[in-house]
Amino acid sequence: MLDALKDIVRKSSIHVCLINTGGCNGCDIEVVALLSPRYDLEQYGIYVHNNPREADVLLITGAVTEQWKEKLRRIYTKAPEPKVVVAIGNCPLSGDVFNQEGGSVYAPVSDFIPVDAEISGCPPRPSEILEAILAVAPGAIAAKGRQKE
Amino acid sequence: MILPLGPIHPAFKEPLRLKLKTQGEKVLSAEIDYGYVHRGIERVMKGKTWQKSIYLSERVCGICSYIHTQTFAETFELISGETAPLRAQYLRVLTNELDRIQSHLLANSTYFKALEHETLFMYMLYLREPIMDAIELLTGNRVNMGWNVVGGVRMDAHESHLQQIKEIILKLESEYPKYVEMFEQGPLVGLRSHDVGKMTKEEAIKGRAVGPIGRGSGIKHDLREDHPTYRDYLDFKVIWRKEGDNFARTMNRFDEIPESINLIKQVIDNIPQGEVRKKVNIGAGYGEWRNEAPRGEVTYMIETNGNLINNISIRTPSIMNIDSCAKYMLKDAATVADAVATYASVDPCVACAERVVILDENEGKKEFQGIFNIK
Repeated sequence: MLDALKDIVRKSSIHVCLINTGGCNGCDIEVVALLSPRYDLEQYGIYVHNNPREADVLLITGAVTEQWKEKLRRIYTKAPEPKVVVAIGNCPLSGDVFNQEGGSVYAPVSDFIPVDAEISGCPPRPSEILEAILAVAPGAIAAKGRQKE
Repeated sequence: MILPLGPIHPAFKEPLRLKLKTQGEKVLSAEIDYGYVHRGIERVMKGKTWQKSIYLSERVCGICSYIHTQTFAETFELISGETAPLRAQYLRVLTNELDRIQSHLLANSTYFKALEHETLFMYMLYLREPIMDAIELLTGNRVNMGWNVVGGVRMDAHESHLQQIKEIILKLESEYPKYVEMFEQGPLVGLRSHDVGKMTKEEAIKGRAVGPIGRGSGIKHDLREDHPTYRDYLDFKVIWRKEGDNFARTMNRFDEIPESINLIKQVIDNIPQGEVRKKVNIGAGYGEWRNEAPRGEVTYMIETNGNLINNISIRTPSIMNIDSCAKYMLKDAATVADAVATYASVDPCVACAERVVILDENEGKKEFQGIFNIK
């Protein structure tokens, strides 16, 4: 009963944690642009808090660098269930331009943690990021919440 | 006690570890631990042609991505002994100043977010979005523009687009003073900014602070004065302040935006007709070029054999600014909240800093061990 109520509430109140695992910052500032009055992320009940311990959605930007190889998994386990991982940009998908001979990135992110949604682009437009979060998060949170019981 | 902040923290937009040595609520000293965004860009660039490297130089940093490609292209032009056509130089100035405006607005919005002043944070982002539209209109992309090539810019700007950019800029100019006044005269934001995170001119010189951070502490140094296009064709005033606190750094960024607006108006009114790109035969040799990025000076040192890059070294402003922040500004902050605000006022760009910082990283680790030994 309580869990069902929680699921209903959480569907329309999504807390987001942004994790830059070694990108160029471009995707991060597009997420910041989402907060602006033009896109107004908070009207959809999405709140960017950057705290993994209370996050429902983890936004991963960037290819995985040496330092992040173990820490990414640790941050993922810190987030409470149910959680959704959205990979933003080309870096988490393929490593983008950094994934060449001599570079020290270990893309893709899906080697380290399970990824629910992927958005390509370098960087993707803010509206695309918003669309992806809204498309995947409420349903996935509800579905995963039911699986847990 | 030692209070670690980060790598993921509500106040940071990028991963970085800040270790604050605290006594009660007071911050005694701070250390910064880098290395979370090290991607090995310089090593990837070695042994590649400029066509394959200029994309990488753009992705050193996403916020000031434009100036990196310009410096990269100008270094190659210097080695080859050529200059870009005049129209291309004007277009470079135009894009550079648009990029500077959006970067300064973003930096100030981050600072207000760290101060928990949500209203000004929203206003700054509200002002920034039209500028992003102008950049998109001109170059075709919002963040990573792909606008520079060696010997000019990729494509010509349409006359109607230039007029639209001018309209956007005039609108920004008309409503801009209201928001500056909100910060300058506002009692709450002002009180939390005055005399917090002070850095004197001597400390700024010692810490090699550059850009608005150095200028906020009284170092009157702007590389745009020495850049050929700015020096020969355009007029602008170097903004600098003496206080050296959070207020000075934020106001310095605020005051630079009207100068950028003036420069953009000059460019659009006086832009000459002609070619925007010419063929450059890449010469062999070593070249070094510096430019004023939104955060300070960025240096490219390139050694090429006429086709491939033998050696490249990039020096970005953030590394000096973050270091002088940790060493001098966070020395004795009154509260931890002030320390976070001071860190945000430095406009840190971690992605910039992380390619060649092994030396600093080692120093930081040594000091950290020392503190543990004392305990």
